[in-house]
Amino acid sequence: MGRKILLVEDDRETAGYLVRGLTQEGHSVEHVTDGQEGLFRASGGTFDLIILDRMLPVLDGLAVLRALRAANIATPVLILSALATVGDRIDGLDGGSDDYLVKPFSFAELLARANALFRRSDARPSADPKITVADMEIDPLARVVRRGDKKIDLKPREYLLLEYFARNAGKVVTRTMLLEQVWDYHFDPGTNVIDVHVSRLRRKLEEGFDRPLLHTVRGAGYMLSG
Amino acid sequence: MRTSVRIAFLAGLLALAANLAIIGFIHLQTYDQSESTLRRQVTQQAHVLAYIYRSGGLPALQSAIDEPVDPEDPEVAAALIDPSGRVVYGNFVYLPAPGETFGEGYRSGLVRLQDETAAHEAGVYFQRLPRGRWIASARIAGEGLALRETLERSLLVGVALSLLLGIACGVLVARYVGLRVRSISEVAARIGGGDMDQRIPVRQSGDAFETLARQINAMLDRIGRLMDELRMLTDTLAHDLRSPVGRLRSAADAALVATSREELDQLFGKIIQESDSLMRILTTILEIGRTESFAGRNQFTSFDAADLGAELAEMYEPLGEEDGASVKFEKSGMDFDFRGHRQLLAQALSNLIENAFNYAALGGPITVFVKRNRDRLQMGVADRGPGIPADQREQACSRFGRLDSSRSRGGAGLGLTLVRSIAHLHNGELVLDDAGPGLIAMLDLPVRHD
Repeated sequence: MGRKILLVEDDRETAGYLVRGLTQEGHSVEHVTDGQEGLFRASGGTFDLIILDRMLPVLDGLAVLRALRAANIATPVLILSALATVGDRIDGLDGGSDDYLVKPFSFAELLARANALFRRSDARPSADPKITVADMEIDPLARVVRRGDKKIDLKPREYLLLEYFARNAGKVVTRTMLLEQVWDYHFDPGTNVIDVHVSRLRRKLEEGFDRPLLHTVRGAGYMLSG
Repeated sequence: MRTSVRIAFLAGLLALAANLAIIGFIHLQTYDQSESTLRRQVTQQAHVLAYIYRSGGLPALQSAIDEPVDPEDPEVAAALIDPSGRVVYGNFVYLPAPGETFGEGYRSGLVRLQDETAAHEAGVYFQRLPRGRWIASARIAGEGLALRETLERSLLVGVALSLLLGIACGVLVARYVGLRVRSISEVAARIGGGDMDQRIPVRQSGDAFETLARQINAMLDRIGRLMDELRMLTDTLAHDLRSPVGRLRSAADAALVATSREELDQLFGKIIQESDSLMRILTTILEIGRTESFAGRNQFTSFDAADLGAELAEMYEPLGEEDGASVKFEKSGMDFDFRGHRQLLAQALSNLIENAFNYAALGGPITVFVKRNRDRLQMGVADRGPGIPADQREQACSRFGRLDSSRSRGGAGLGLTLVRSIAHLHNGELVLDDAGPGLIAMLDLPVRHD
């Protein structure tokens, strides 16, 4: 399903690469090169996602973001920035953005994050809060997970990990997304600690079943699907 | 040069002010109230006698002189003087000083009273009368009038002299200061020109100039050390970045001539991996710079440090299972909220845990601990590895300061430097200690009560 995306990015090369990639994914992308123009287009509130470079001519990214939020425009905003330190990321997130991605990034990472933001804004509170993925059922209120007839025992963090996967079922989830969303850490660990957690969760979900649920997506991350 | 003129002028001015103050004091102490009374009395008396003479002529004046209004006051003296200076009628003679000329007004001088031979000091008032005559009225002064006048004259001379001496002193001081300052400014100019090895010659004078020279030299030494460090740092950085870039390049070279899709995928994977590790090194360098400039202090929040430690221990616990090392968490002291940068402290603790895995795991348990020790928060990791000898601990914390024993393991040697700068951000220290056996690496941070 195609979405409307506003890209505010002054770097020609990055912008070209993003417009090509996102268009191929079926989205329609409008591209502007400075902050003022970006704010002008965004203030209509007609986009599903705004991808905002942090350092822009005329009006910088954080100022655009603040102006949008002050005008009650709630369109999800993903900030792109070359400012890579933990403090810079926190500044970006505190400024009202929904996600923060450091340059250089892989297109797979950007796409996974964009999809997570689309899904989040689509989510409607439903009468049945249970999440079902193939033959697995998750009850977020009771924090109980069943697959078929079997109840699966998970530690609290494993449960949070699974719930995040389930809420993004069918979409790629990257390692840094997991670290940020499930653990709330914004640094890059030098080890494969996230992979170890995922494979542990996978063992618990798939032990005794033939059908795999948690898939590894090469060069990108993981995906939960039936 | 203008400065020394100003100093000389200032010194002279100060000397003058000080002397004026002293002279004023002496004058105040010696000034006799009676002198002004004397002056007033003789002036009035002269006016009265002149009036009498004008209205009653010589006879009236004679009787006024012979029969004083106040018989109790025998010191009243008066005389009528003709244009040639001769006393026409009177009971005293004024003895002018050599060269003194007559004029109307008050003066002090010597007089001889009628029927006496000795001269007295007196205040005298001369008033002009018609036809060139004068009325002189005199009163004998007490002792000391002349002495005081001498004193006042010498004080005036003293003022002039002290002004000159003050300026002379000022010039001397200015020349001395100028000389001492010039030796400093010449060195500063040479250093400004690029010769960082210059130092100010230190004279054993024990004064402020010696202190200043020593301080400037110490400052120059420190700047020199920092510059050396920086130079070494950029050299090391350039050198250490060459190897990942080299690996990157050789993977790209290999990809160019790869024959199978599988081989190509593997090489691209390697290229991405090497780029990521390069990016990680660069981000860490930026992170250290940012942390060392204390930029993160506006992001401090209150949180439970023990929770953070437990969370990270739990996060790394499965990694330990794979490596055959167990990760334990220990806390001691009461629960409390610590104010700090949660994200950076998490990163610091995670670096310490990963170090323990990289250098010391080999099956031994890794203990993550958070301790409240009075006003200190101590959070860190203890392992059972080989530890770091005491004399190498400082090197282990410095930028790119990998110990030779760990060079083969990869990594840029920035981990502990970042941890240390995070400790500094919280006004604390990174402490490396002996766990007997093993290494304790912890952040020792003050708990603030504001």
